[in-house]
Amino acid sequence: MTNTPPRQAPPKLPQTFLPLKTHWFHILLTLAGGEQHGYAIMQEVLQRTNDKVHLWPATLYGSIKRLIEAELIVESDERPAPELDDARRRYYRLTPLGRGVLDAECNRLEELVRSIKIKQALVTE
Amino acid sequence: MNFKMNFAWRIYRRLAQAFPHEFKLAYGTEVMQLGEDVVKDIAKRHGTTGLIRLIADIAMRVPLEYLSEMRGDMRYAWRALAKSPGFALVGILSMALGIGLSTNVYSSKWTMLFRDLPSAANAKHLVMFQESEDGDLAPVSYYYIEQYREQKSLFTGAAAFRTSVPFNVTFQGNLNAKPQRIFGQLVSPDYFSVIGVQPQNGRVLSPDLDQSGDAPVVVVSDRFWRNRLNSSPNAIGQTLHLNGQPATIVGITPKNFNGVLGVNPSELFVPITAPPALAPELANDVLHQRSAKDFLALLCLAPGVSMDSAEVALDSINRRLDEQDTTALPRIDKGRRVTLLPAGTNVPIPRKIKPVIIGFFLALMGLVLTLACMNLANMLMARGANRRKELAIRLAVGASRFRLVRQMISEGLLLSMLGGLAGFALAYLLGVLNSHFTPPTTIPVEFYFTMDWHAALFAFSLAILCGVGFSLIPALQSTKADLTPALKEGSALQLPGYRRFGLRNLLMVAQVAASLMLLLMTGFLVLGLSKGTSLQPKFDPNAMVLFSLDPVRDGYTPERAQALFEKLPDRLKASGHVRSVAMAAQPPFSGDTELTQVSAEAAQSSQVLQQVMEQTIGASYFATLNEPMLSGREFEPADQRVQPDPSKPSSLPAVLNESAAHKFFGNQNALGKRVRDDQRSFEVVGVVRDIRNVDGFTHATLYLPLTPRDFARPPAGGMTILVRSDNLSDLGAASGTDPLAAIRNEIAFLDPNLNIFNIQTLGSYLDRSRSALRFSVQTYSGIGVFGLVLAAIGLAGVTAYAVAQRRKEIAIRTAVGATPLQILRLVLREGAALISAGTILGFVGAMALAKVLSALTSLFVDALKIGTADPLLLVGAPLLLAAVAMLACYIPARKSTKIDPLKALREE
Repeated sequence: MTNTPPRQAPPKLPQTFLPLKTHWFHILLTLAGGEQHGYAIMQEVLQRTNDKVHLWPATLYGSIKRLIEAELIVESDERPAPELDDARRRYYRLTPLGRGVLDAECNRLEELVRSIKIKQALVTE
Repeated sequence: MNFKMNFAWRIYRRLAQAFPHEFKLAYGTEVMQLGEDVVKDIAKRHGTTGLIRLIADIAMRVPLEYLSEMRGDMRYAWRALAKSPGFALVGILSMALGIGLSTNVYSSKWTMLFRDLPSAANAKHLVMFQESEDGDLAPVSYYYIEQYREQKSLFTGAAAFRTSVPFNVTFQGNLNAKPQRIFGQLVSPDYFSVIGVQPQNGRVLSPDLDQSGDAPVVVVSDRFWRNRLNSSPNAIGQTLHLNGQPATIVGITPKNFNGVLGVNPSELFVPITAPPALAPELANDVLHQRSAKDFLALLCLAPGVSMDSAEVALDSINRRLDEQDTTALPRIDKGRRVTLLPAGTNVPIPRKIKPVIIGFFLALMGLVLTLACMNLANMLMARGANRRKELAIRLAVGASRFRLVRQMISEGLLLSMLGGLAGFALAYLLGVLNSHFTPPTTIPVEFYFTMDWHAALFAFSLAILCGVGFSLIPALQSTKADLTPALKEGSALQLPGYRRFGLRNLLMVAQVAASLMLLLMTGFLVLGLSKGTSLQPKFDPNAMVLFSLDPVRDGYTPERAQALFEKLPDRLKASGHVRSVAMAAQPPFSGDTELTQVSAEAAQSSQVLQQVMEQTIGASYFATLNEPMLSGREFEPADQRVQPDPSKPSSLPAVLNESAAHKFFGNQNALGKRVRDDQRSFEVVGVVRDIRNVDGFTHATLYLPLTPRDFARPPAGGMTILVRSDNLSDLGAASGTDPLAAIRNEIAFLDPNLNIFNIQTLGSYLDRSRSALRFSVQTYSGIGVFGLVLAAIGLAGVTAYAVAQRRKEIAIRTAVGATPLQILRLVLREGAALISAGTILGFVGAMALAKVLSALTSLFVDALKIGTADPLLLVGAPLLLAAVAMLACYIPARKSTKIDPLKALREE
């Protein structure tokens, strides 16, 4: 076993994650408001999209696993207040990189919407 | 509702347990929890559909997680291999050689021997007649086939055909060009329907549409259409001139269909209803002559009829037909007359031989692959043992053994996949080389070689099998859950020196045994085959020119053809510098001749049919080849004018070679005695020495003279003319051309329309035959050497590893006074015992395998007989292997004597 220190991985840019997968986007968006556990994420996404996007359990945790591997989210050490806490569950929160990626994706989507609106105006003229 | 929910929940739970271990550790609880939370809700809001989606979601996720883990494993394995490039290289090379060889054998031999005829719907029901146990196909007369056709309960169809029929072809609009000699088949109109072949364009022959007296038609093969007609869309309806006669193309066969007996591919299919002018084989009203055994029968078994019952039925039918035939000589054989073999493949193989051939190839390739795998297994075990500490720690902190084993197998799999890719490329290369080194033949022979998806799948499966095979046991061994000793003693585990039946020792013995078996088997074959290269004619082969003529197909009538052949030798001799000229129905020294059953006509009634080679030769043949007669005389021009008459005991002369004379008459003088086949009887007028053919073997041979019938209907390869001069360069010197051109000019002078082909010196003919043989020899030798090298590497590696493990012990021994020699003896003693055991096993195994093969088939008998009797090989091979093995052990053992005890002890 050699004694060289492990190579530092180069810092990842948010741009490399775009365009973001739909499920990832929704999870990150949900965590933007603070740490959540899996069930809550699922419920909020359902509510926010009017039942259109359903994060099924296995898919949800598969995505969470990959988000953790990509260092976009981490398991949160802090727990909420005891009366709101559910001891069984694990909470997740955004990392700075995750926040950056979310912001980048939101900008990208806003650009898209802007282009659509311009086009629509042109067409109706 | 409740029941459905509970059921769905139960399935969900089961599936959740199926996730990979690490995923379960991290998220298993969450997934269960979440499922429990939402199942009721989903059931209420989405009903059964929702429950199904819930289960589908987790069911699809499970394999995805495994896949993602495997990706990670592969990355890990890649890094590990990159760190030890030497090991990786040896591994990939071993796998490449093993898989490459096996894939090559599979895609050439297997395809040729066992795959059904392409586009033939009835391939599995086709049968043909076999002359004897291992013999050739048995021709019958057309009358017999018509009788078979009547047996509707036995056969759905009975077709007649002749294969390897040459046609001189000229194309529409290009009639004055030199005709091309193209091979095809003469077939009965029901041929295609019996086989079950549909045309890709136009129509195939049919009994309703193709009758005697109709304008001649022909069906061409896809290959003919592509190569010679340039895939013209107007091919149907075009006229070809076959042997000078017009014939209209009416159909094109499907791709890759080259007729039955595809090993001799046919490009043209001409119905037997064609006029004799188009096909000389149809002359003399052969279709109606009961004794003209000129056709092969192709029968399609009716549903429910087995080959055995068909054989029995045909036997009695044939017997009845034979008895009705008063013109033929009474048959002597009492036994079964009819043997059938399945004819739906490119090379029909007798049923008895098929498993033997399969067994042979499986054994050879199996040995090669097993060797490669054992080698890798040994090396992996050594590596695995080095990682005991790391693995022990991982096991202790909760990694599942299955997970660790999977990771170690990934390394092996990566090696074997890379090796498989390289092997595939190697197989392709070997195939290309193979097709370059084909022996010269007078009729086209096709060595099927298709590297298609079958071959790729085969290579891929082999790679996976090998990869898992050789890495499983080392992985299991290294992850044995005996953690405490592993953690305590560090990564260098003390292996006892001589655990008698330990896995490592067993592997080493097996490796030596397999190597020796491979070495001996290939040695047998190489020795046997290489006798062929020792063929030496009794004169300078470059002083003889061979060429072939087929005047009948150039438009000659039989009478003109006979006249031509009669005056040809004298004309050639008169041209100067020609010492002697002879003619024959096949090239000299050719091993490519028919085998027939002949018996001696003697006073006693026991007339045993023996199998001999039959060659048809002209006058002065042996004199031209410089082979002296042992007794009697050889054929003279007068013999060539005898018309064989089946109604009276014929006065046809025959010459036997030594072996044949001995076979029939023992030590008696053969001159004046008679031999006969089932149609004609001959008087022995001469005995000649045994002449080796290009295979290197001599067979009992019966030589018959060329007769007017042979001149009128030359064989498929044409009539071979041998022209020998004292000094070949003189031949052309007079006219200032090279010898071959001089001969061409001479023939052109006789008749400019005569086509001369296959013109070459005997020297180049022999060279081509020999180079094909040499290539086979080299391939087999290569396999043997490969086994040897592999064994050496494996043994060296294992010994090096054993030495490394015993450093401490060796250091202590040196410190207390052991001499280097004593250390050496210690290390080598173990190796020597294992090598001896392996050698004995391997030797016994090889001899047993050779015996079994020889007993089961005559295919390799000649080669094996010579090989297994060769003392040099039998003693030399084991010694060679033992020597190489000991050397492989010696080098690392020597390093062990150089161990500095202080350093070694301090390291621990």
